[in-house]
Amino acid sequence: MDRRAFVKATGVAGIAGLAGCSGGPSDGSGDTATESPTESDDSDDGGEETTAAETTESGPAANVGMVYATGGLGDGSFNDQAQSGVIQAEEDFGIEYNEAQPDEVAQFSTFQQQFAQSSDPNYDLVCCIGFLQLDSLTENAESYPDQDFMIVDEVVDAPNVASYTFMEHEGSYLAGLMGSLLTTQEFSAGAGSTVPDSAALGFVGGVESGLIQRFQAGFEAGAAAGNGDTEVLTNYTGSFNDPAAGREAASAMYNDGADIVFHAAGNTGTGVFQAAQEAGRFAIGVDRAQSITRDSYADVILGSMIKRVDTPVYGAIESKVNGEFPGGEALSLGLDEDGVDLVYGDSIGSDVPEAVADEVATAREDIVNGDISVPMSPE
Amino acid sequence: MSDAPAEAPGTDAEAGSDPDPDSTPNAGPLGSRSNRELIAWAAIGTLAALLLGGAAFPNTILGVLADVITDKDTLSAALRLSVPIAFAALGGIFSEKSGVINIGLEGLLIISAFTAIYVTDVTGGIWIGFGGGVVASTLLALLFAVVTIEFRADQIIAGLAVWLIALGLAPFASQVIYNGPNTPTVGTTGSIYVPVLAEIPFFGALFSASPSVYMLFVAVAASWYVFERTAFGRWIRASGENPKALDTAGVNVSRVRYVGILVSGVLAGMGGSALSLDLGQFTGNGPTMVNGKGFIAIVAYLFGNYNPIGAFLATMLFAGLDAIQTVLQLQGIGLPRQLIRIIPFVVVIVVLALVGRTRLPEAAGDHYESGEE
Repeated sequence: MDRRAFVKATGVAGIAGLAGCSGGPSDGSGDTATESPTESDDSDDGGEETTAAETTESGPAANVGMVYATGGLGDGSFNDQAQSGVIQAEEDFGIEYNEAQPDEVAQFSTFQQQFAQSSDPNYDLVCCIGFLQLDSLTENAESYPDQDFMIVDEVVDAPNVASYTFMEHEGSYLAGLMGSLLTTQEFSAGAGSTVPDSAALGFVGGVESGLIQRFQAGFEAGAAAGNGDTEVLTNYTGSFNDPAAGREAASAMYNDGADIVFHAAGNTGTGVFQAAQEAGRFAIGVDRAQSITRDSYADVILGSMIKRVDTPVYGAIESKVNGEFPGGEALSLGLDEDGVDLVYGDSIGSDVPEAVADEVATAREDIVNGDISVPMSPE
Repeated sequence: MSDAPAEAPGTDAEAGSDPDPDSTPNAGPLGSRSNRELIAWAAIGTLAALLLGGAAFPNTILGVLADVITDKDTLSAALRLSVPIAFAALGGIFSEKSGVINIGLEGLLIISAFTAIYVTDVTGGIWIGFGGGVVASTLLALLFAVVTIEFRADQIIAGLAVWLIALGLAPFASQVIYNGPNTPTVGTTGSIYVPVLAEIPFFGALFSASPSVYMLFVAVAASWYVFERTAFGRWIRASGENPKALDTAGVNVSRVRYVGILVSGVLAGMGGSALSLDLGQFTGNGPTMVNGKGFIAIVAYLFGNYNPIGAFLATMLFAGLDAIQTVLQLQGIGLPRQLIRIIPFVVVIVVLALVGRTRLPEAAGDHYESGEE
């Protein structure tokens, strides 16, 4: 029985150890975020040396903590886009950053606190990416009044938080408009072609929420504007990280006659592209130019409704470095502010007929000028 | 898990540890039939009623439902969704029938899903990647076997460890290799299309599916054959039911159990590889892309009462409902989407509650050492 007890104990210890390390924040330059509480106590005079050794003589212009959304890096859309903002800021301002990729909503608060508490380095700004961080940040902003935060996709009403939201419905309107103009005509490009006798589009969402419904609302409004008879099929997979479900949802839509499916579902969207390739139809990407980030599907991606998550990340860091951090403000970025836009696919976007592209460009002008107002929630 | 074997040998587990597990369901007017049989008939009855109702009133909810159920695309979606679950369930049967409860199936799926993508990415060969996934899963199963058989670790704890190791290791490896828990996309297996037969209305889906679906059919049939017709199948059963008898007959129980666990590793590995290679990407955040399929597999083989064909049908029930809910979301039948989405899970819980107790192999969860007494 001794051996048995030993094996059990080893197993339990192993599990505990695994659970402990699988949740830690990952960063490029060592585990500073996790180790800092103990380290800072005994290295008061050594602290500056270690930081200095890691960087140039002057030290970083700012230390930034990134807490990503649950999709994780490598999603080819939302989180990668946010990361490109901080990387750009690193090049331009010489800041340093650490990253945390939470697996689930419950970990947001932990990582936010870890960054806020850390004193080696002392983070000047913590970027919280994604609307799911709202609750934990509302609490933490109050608990750490001296820490500056910024949040993307939600508004936290606190003096030390800068909130950035996007007018996704404006960009999605253009996607819907393009889709409905194409679905009624005979169109083929790359690996896809439309079925001329059906006027149907599809929308695949991730977790059903006010945010994703903005995409849906704009897409539906744009589709109706292009052609009143266009039907928009809608499915929410309930997850941003389930490509298999995205594929089934999109397959069902293509089988029902949808020509073009627009997704706002993070990683789940990979399955949508897969289904488009299998069905020989089209898809519209989201957040980034996905015909480039997911280039194996470039032959079916007509375009992408990009959401420049890097803009607020970069902007917040820039203002922090310049000492004019917009704490307590809520900024909304639309087509006019270059926060969202519709970009055409890298390989087949140029095949979109000029008449369609012109109409989309006109609608874009009209939205910017305020002549078209796009609804924010689906009917 | 270890309650049943605590009984004296020879006690029927069905009336074993619990005071009287079957008394409540059997008290009803239909007490003579087994619950499982009853549910199977109820399901067939409901289905028939649905289809008849749908044919009679084509423009009602019933009509929509009947349309969806008889749609060829629903069947092909159900087959695709069931591949990883059914493979893992078959693996679970091999392991548990031999007397080792393998709740690490989820972990085996995760590790093989990731390895398949990684090997494919490195070598460029999809089937090489598929093999790589199977090898990774088998190695992890071997670790599990050594720990449980050689070192007599508790099977449940070791199974949990397998899951947690894979849950941590696969995203970590992806982080190291690809700088993120999600891998880039690689090629997919594509699908096999049988020209004329694929045009058949409903069953045409059987002739236009990915190779993994056909492999699943072969695996189900082969598993059934092994258990019902071969000496090795009898050894596996004996090893789980009465290892002492098997030992007395001169067969090495440990060896049989090793093979049982390794086979479960191979099968679960095929499921995991098929899952990720079908999509060409591994996504590793949170519960990873496997997302509980290994645990649903355990439910499936319990519901299928350790019968490969039963487990496959149970998987098809769940996967079929999942496919149906996806299509129903598009039809606008008046139900909120959130409710439609949970249909498969609700049905599984209801079914499990009704089926009640499954008869575990007598010696499952128990360590056996030759010449112990």
